[in-house]
Amino acid sequence: MTDDELDPDLEDVVAEERVEELDSEPEARSGADYAPSVAERLAFYQRAGGIVTPILTALLAFFVGGLVVLATTGKNPLATYRAIFDGTGLNWLFPWVSGTERSLAALNLQQTLLIATPLILTGLAVAFAFRCGMFNIGGNGQYIVGAITAVWIGSSLNGLPGWLHILVAVVAAAVAGGMWAGIAGFLKASIGAHEVITTIMLNWIAVWVGSYLVGFGGPLQDKAQISAPVTKSVAPDAHLPVFWGSAVLQGLHVGFFIAIGALAVYWIMINRTTLGYEVRAVGFNPEAARYGGISVARNYFLAMAISGAFAGLAGSMDILGWQFHLDLTTVQISSIGFTGIAVALLGRNTAVGTFLAGILFAALLNGTSTRNLDPSVFKPELAGNLTRIIQGLVVLFVGADLLILYLWQWRRKLRLGRPRAVTGQ
Amino acid sequence: MKSKRLLLLAIAVVAAGAALAAGLGSSSSNAAPRATARVAVVTDIGGLNDKGFNHLAYVGLQRAQSKLGVDGRVFITNTAEDRLPNLRSAAQQGYGLVIGVGFLMFDPLDKLAPAVPNTKFAGVDVPYALLASKPANVRGLVFKEQEAGYLVGYIAGLEIKRHPYKGKQVVSGVGANKVPAIIHFLTGYAAGAKKANPKVTVLINYANDPTFADQAKCKVTTQNQISRGSGVVFEAAGQCGLGGLTAAKQSGVWGIGVDADQSFLGPHILTSATKKVDVAVYQTIQAYAQNPDGFTGGSDQVFSVKNGAVGYGKLSPKLSKADRAYILARVSNIAKQIASGKIVPPSGT
Repeated sequence: MTDDELDPDLEDVVAEERVEELDSEPEARSGADYAPSVAERLAFYQRAGGIVTPILTALLAFFVGGLVVLATTGKNPLATYRAIFDGTGLNWLFPWVSGTERSLAALNLQQTLLIATPLILTGLAVAFAFRCGMFNIGGNGQYIVGAITAVWIGSSLNGLPGWLHILVAVVAAAVAGGMWAGIAGFLKASIGAHEVITTIMLNWIAVWVGSYLVGFGGPLQDKAQISAPVTKSVAPDAHLPVFWGSAVLQGLHVGFFIAIGALAVYWIMINRTTLGYEVRAVGFNPEAARYGGISVARNYFLAMAISGAFAGLAGSMDILGWQFHLDLTTVQISSIGFTGIAVALLGRNTAVGTFLAGILFAALLNGTSTRNLDPSVFKPELAGNLTRIIQGLVVLFVGADLLILYLWQWRRKLRLGRPRAVTGQ
Repeated sequence: MKSKRLLLLAIAVVAAGAALAAGLGSSSSNAAPRATARVAVVTDIGGLNDKGFNHLAYVGLQRAQSKLGVDGRVFITNTAEDRLPNLRSAAQQGYGLVIGVGFLMFDPLDKLAPAVPNTKFAGVDVPYALLASKPANVRGLVFKEQEAGYLVGYIAGLEIKRHPYKGKQVVSGVGANKVPAIIHFLTGYAAGAKKANPKVTVLINYANDPTFADQAKCKVTTQNQISRGSGVVFEAAGQCGLGGLTAAKQSGVWGIGVDADQSFLGPHILTSATKKVDVAVYQTIQAYAQNPDGFTGGSDQVFSVKNGAVGYGKLSPKLSKADRAYILARVSNIAKQIASGKIVPPSGT
């Protein structure tokens, strides 16, 4: 497909979006004679849509969520959203908020960012695999493996100096998460086992091995409390420093900056390295990539392993940042890796998008907690479900807008009098 | 094209407007008069409708609200991150007594309580010994599950003596998972059955279900015991145990419920080993409401047969009149001996 096949209206769109893109992502293409390939153009549409559609998606989800509020409580949804917004602590950013309200906002914002930290990282774990054309549903298992590794290293090796202890624990957790996901990558690369199946299976293996280790008399269970399903605590010198709020009472730890650093690493890896180029090439079209001399198998493995490393890192942040020990309940019912899928979907697998989506979901989780909602307006039985409703709506609409993109392309092809090529997908 | 740009602009304006509206003004909670006691219950992960712990704690709070007129509020914990902020929020909002539900509250209570010395805390199933900082304002609320287990074990032993199942005198107990409360229940159960009937064989098995919700696991474990001749199965397993009780019904043997009085499940429920978290929560709130300043922490408050917070539930209507009278006379006597300390059921930990 060449440029002159596009109708003028559409070309205008492309030009416009290109300007938009310059603002959001410094990945500018230059030169008047630049002719994008089909794959690039598809990616381009997705990214162009990636500015408008996530915002629309989120707004639509909130709107429908508001209708749910209206239907279930009969109260003004705006008041509820206002309470949720205050609960997220984002009002801390407004300079006119002062006094006790400001200190309360600070506490809330610390919690929001504390939750955002692992969400951003598990979001990256999903996004990186997506870029290679794979769907990593195993973020949760990789997160658990990372958490187990971090609590193991953090509660042993006590002779090390603090910074080294942290470094060893964090790196080991990332490596462990990477190896865990690498199994799925290896299976896909070698025998073609679908990663959706293998990562889901690996999730359960991680849950049950983890349950044994921390709760069924396994080696990590605290021997001082034989019957309690909890591990030993991480040594105080291996705690991540807290830079905002109380170090004892779950203040915001430096893991937040590590997550931002991971976003930068992700962006550089995807956009500025050979590895990232190959990963994207395989993601666009494995056959074409293979024809171009790229080892598809190698990239499948590496992309999964790197994905897993992000999720493993997330696990270590939670353990070393605020939890300091691992209990059976957390191993069994943690769902942070699954929320990471929603984060990556809404963030359109970009670094900036993942950051914003991570903050949004963390804000939702924290803001809709019953402690932030007036029980007379919002029954405690209902409040906890609002988060899930809005999360579900976001995922639903994200799926729907991809559908719209496809339909849109299909319609265009019909108008051009061509056979329908896209519907075959 | 213009339209697309306009749409974007509109979205931006709406978003900014919403943010502004949200930021303006403040939603300061108006403090209630200090006259009524203010009590908060912080549940653990699982939700209010878990038909177990969280639910019973909430029932206790609601009863206190209606009977004692306290100002109560429940804080629901959805994620592990929620526990400490929920407890702190409750303290900050001026709730004088904050009750954390569930063993895992030990860690946030340990960290938070020293920072807010003027707030009183209580932890359901949180043994005070677990709190490393030894805060003076936290009270552990712990249960002697072994006493309830002993009583229902005694009932099971009597019943199987009078009516052996397929000629055998075997009773059994299923635990969801090896956690303290379950070990207490089952150890007491075995001892109680032996006390009633020295000839009885007691089978104890764990379904290994840490979620306490996988009914299939308890069902299989129970069917296994029934095939080994058990005529009475005690399910110390939360929702998991519901599967085991169904298996008992299908095989025509007795089932024994746990925590709540589960006689509503049907006449195949011989009785239930009750652990009344609602009673414990209510009594704790009552003690606080009557004398807030006199409410002290620093130790465990033990709930036992003596104060009526553990015991046995209704006997099955399927029992003959003679059997019922026979069992009731003996088990109430045993309960009295436990209350007076004459019998001390073993806890197993």
